[in-house]
Amino acid sequence: MHRLDCRGARCPLPIIHLAQEVSALHSGTLITLFSDDPATWPDLQAWARMREKKVRQIDAITFEVIV
Amino acid sequence: MGEVYLGNSRFALGEGSVGTMGSVTGAFTSESPLHPAAREVLLDAMDKGWADPTKLHRPSRELSILLDESRAVFGRHFQTPVHTIHFLGEVSLGYHLGISGFRQQSHGTFYYPATSRHEVLALATTMKSQLLPVDLEGRSDIPEGSTADLLAFANINGETGAHATDAGNFLGTTFIDATADPLTALPSRWDSALWDSRSWSGPAGLGIFALREESQWHNPLPRLDQLKVPGGFNPALAIASAVALDAHVAEHERTAQQNKSFNSQIRRFVTESIGDVDIASPQDAAAHLLSFSFLYVDAEQLIDRMERRGFSLDSGSACTSANLEPSHVLAAMGRLTHGNVRLTLHSETTEESVRSMLDALKSVIEELRSA
Repeated sequence: MHRLDCRGARCPLPIIHLAQEVSALHSGTLITLFSDDPATWPDLQAWARMREKKVRQIDAITFEVIV
Repeated sequence: MGEVYLGNSRFALGEGSVGTMGSVTGAFTSESPLHPAAREVLLDAMDKGWADPTKLHRPSRELSILLDESRAVFGRHFQTPVHTIHFLGEVSLGYHLGISGFRQQSHGTFYYPATSRHEVLALATTMKSQLLPVDLEGRSDIPEGSTADLLAFANINGETGAHATDAGNFLGTTFIDATADPLTALPSRWDSALWDSRSWSGPAGLGIFALREESQWHNPLPRLDQLKVPGGFNPALAIASAVALDAHVAEHERTAQQNKSFNSQIRRFVTESIGDVDIASPQDAAAHLLSFSFLYVDAEQLIDRMERRGFSLDSGSACTSANLEPSHVLAAMGRLTHGNVRLTLHSETTEESVRSMLDALKSVIEELRSA
């Protein structure tokens, strides 16, 4: 399972780091993203819409992304 | 020296020409300098507007007439009877008067779209309320409600320019936030409304509040008399603002066409020549407002680098806000909140300034994305 810890990073860094991580992974892979930036959840949803990925929020700072 | 008329009152213009605002060609921010016509009459308006309009002395009576003439200008352009128009020295107070003023009477629910201004969100915390979610285009489903309910919405969203959803079936009382644009017609049914003088390049520090449905309304402020609003506005600003609105309306036909054409040019350019952009403003939004976000771009650096190239832009991204929270409007719409740019097109915006701003934007985004 892939984990990406972006706690402490401000927007847009969590999404940039996620995009870099995703580019190296096979389609269908699950990534757990940790981020405490308030812009992460809205931006993650917008990114998923633009990049046709699936995302969900687990708790305030934990998110799952299916590549 | 020239002159300007407001009703039957003549204002002497100051020395110097009614010039263009040459220094602001790179400004795409929501604020704009005072309209030259308003600036020119301001000094004369100050000379005529120092008295207390409620007193009986001659200067007071003259000022009272001038304010009536200003009210007539607002009433005509906003298509509401003159007696419903009130001046406010603090624009934000209009939200409280227009919303809380109807609350005391009813025990219903206060409905408001998630894209409402902060003042509305703050008032919602003081009463039984229900937030209305919005879709990607900023539209919300307005419930029918009951006659005891209250609804507040903006006819034009101040960030994206999105038009309001039709609220024609709502049964309760309606407050319209018209602070983003003076010329978009209000829906046929409303009970109170608020405009901001700055949205027509009038002086800051003046709100226009209209109250149509007085029988259901109670002044929410502590008071000893029957006045509907506190009298603490500057009469000279009200006069200058009326002159600015007249001028704004006169220029509207040209600027509306111009804004439409710049708006499509900007949309096309950011999509085709820059790319990976999420345009938050719906296609049919008010043409003078345009909000879009660039994926993987830090807005603070973007705004800073554009400023260094001579272009002032606004942003709704978290890193550009005082509290480090992203724009609640973009978040509510499900739009990308980072890398956001918000443009306001003004009557002085030129083809050349749009083209050079877009070229600068493209090169700054390329720099930031490759860093």
